[in-house]
Amino acid sequence: MTSQPILAPAAVRVTRARGGGRPLRRNLTGWLFLAPAIALIGVFTITPFAQAILLSFQSWDGVSPDTPWVGLANYEFIAGDVVFWASMRNVLFFGVVGFFLGNGIALGMALAVNRITRGKTFFRTVFYLPGVLSVVVVGLLFSFILAPGSGVLNRVLETLGLGTLAQNWLGDPAVALPAVAAVFIWFHWGFGFLLFLAGLQDVPKELYEAAELDGAGPWTTFRSITWPHLAPVTSIVSLLTLLAALQIFGTVQVLTNGGPGYHTMVPTLAIYNEAFVNWRYGSAAAMSVVFGGALVLLSVFQLAITGWRSRR
Amino acid sequence: MTITIGSDQQSTRSLTTARPSGDRGPRPKPPHRRRRIRPDQVGLYGLLVVAALTALLPLLWMLSGSLQSLTELLSNDSLLPASPQWANYVTAWVQGDLGTYLRNSVVYTGCAVVGILVVSSLAGYALARLDFAGKGVFTVVILAVMIIPAPAMFLAQYKLLISLGLTNNPVGYILILITSGIPMSTLIMRSFFVSQPRDLEEAASLDGAGPVRTFFSVILPLARPGLAAVAVIQGLGAWNEYLMALVIFDDNALMPIQRGLTAFTSGDTPQQQILLAATTISIVPVVVFYLLAQRHIVKGIGAGAIK
Repeated sequence: MTSQPILAPAAVRVTRARGGGRPLRRNLTGWLFLAPAIALIGVFTITPFAQAILLSFQSWDGVSPDTPWVGLANYEFIAGDVVFWASMRNVLFFGVVGFFLGNGIALGMALAVNRITRGKTFFRTVFYLPGVLSVVVVGLLFSFILAPGSGVLNRVLETLGLGTLAQNWLGDPAVALPAVAAVFIWFHWGFGFLLFLAGLQDVPKELYEAAELDGAGPWTTFRSITWPHLAPVTSIVSLLTLLAALQIFGTVQVLTNGGPGYHTMVPTLAIYNEAFVNWRYGSAAAMSVVFGGALVLLSVFQLAITGWRSRR
Repeated sequence: MTITIGSDQQSTRSLTTARPSGDRGPRPKPPHRRRRIRPDQVGLYGLLVVAALTALLPLLWMLSGSLQSLTELLSNDSLLPASPQWANYVTAWVQGDLGTYLRNSVVYTGCAVVGILVVSSLAGYALARLDFAGKGVFTVVILAVMIIPAPAMFLAQYKLLISLGLTNNPVGYILILITSGIPMSTLIMRSFFVSQPRDLEEAASLDGAGPVRTFFSVILPLARPGLAAVAVIQGLGAWNEYLMALVIFDDNALMPIQRGLTAFTSGDTPQQQILLAATTISIVPVVVFYLLAQRHIVKGIGAGAIK
């Protein structure tokens, strides 16, 4: 009786569809549906976010119930903290490399896969495969591959007669940072690739046919049809890749733990170490406010540029 | 960008590749259906094969190394195992206590996904269909929360869990996993419900069913495509989560697999081939899942990125 669809007069349909009932009851229903989400976000996201800011003005060793106020001392401390600022510079490198090289590979491969006639699914499957692994797995795997003596990369290079290219990939200050960045790109470019490929498949085919009729070359076609149509995807991929690169943590911790020295230190790892190794939660919180604030600004900036309001 | 996850027509042409004809509905045939490799594509294939090898070789080496003896692994002779040492896997499983970690991961991931599905489908439905005061405010809060990065919060989340007595506690970890999945999932579910026709809800409401009853008996059973997209993407995320697991768990018996792997590595320094075997075991569930649910995963990633 309850589940039978009924053909109703149009007028009734309209009033019922508006969600009749008194406003109070309607509002209560709405908030009832949202209640679990609000409770969880309130307790586990918004409260800690506020607490992180408060904690950055306090001193805490992680154990004692006492968290005395110390004013700006934590911020003064991190302002002179060499490790933290080195980590900010390093992560900027990851961001720039991930942004240009990672996104470039992702876009290039998406264009290539979109053009071929056979094996699209195979290449798509393989290209995203590294992306389903965890940061721990990627870190462990490449810590073996890039190991100095017995590492398989150096052995392969020697077998190929390229022994001069062999390096102490993760231990030499000059190459450690690019090596870790390369691992990040290996791990992450498939994500942008998937989104670019999806975007390419949404470009109307008629436009390409028209361009071909007009005798436009590949570069002109790309410039005037593909690139403009990809603009929304490009801005999303850019932001997400940049955020992922800047928040890199597990891969670095497992690969190098920030070393040699702090040549591959990144902010999230610096925050973690400051709190859980050095037992200085206050200054760790100050770092997370500075670094997290920078990330938030970046997101807001990007969203403002791309006019996210227009998307509904 | 029009990646939809609805069961409407658009979805058949969204992210699926190499599937020339949609499963439903008449669609104009593509102009050429030639599936032979054209000569001008040889260069492209060369490039793609190199990229595919780059993606695959490290994993194949891991597989190969996990089946070698240590002397073989560290010698320069061969990249392939002379005779596969399956015993490495037994050793890894026992020494690394992988059964415990994998079981924990299954439980945490399962609970997190179910929790995320319940909370985000309720909230997504309210945003898509119900009229009430304050809806806009909630949407803004969701967007704002999504922008707050994990590095800004994990310390304070840890402190909060201490004060709630939820460190070294599965419940604390699962609640954190659920919460971090809510914003994106709610937006995915909202756009899914927006794309659905209203007929059935109207029929149910004419039959006198209130919004809550309509939701559970009519809406939710029909929301499977949206729920699947959320489930696969959040399931992968929960399975691979590491930072909070590192912060929350000291007790090995409670650790999920990612945290367990690092505990195993830093423990009594097991031999490399054993660690490779342990790592291989740890990725089996996720790789099998990826190969089976690939289309859902690809759709889910697309839907999640829209925001």
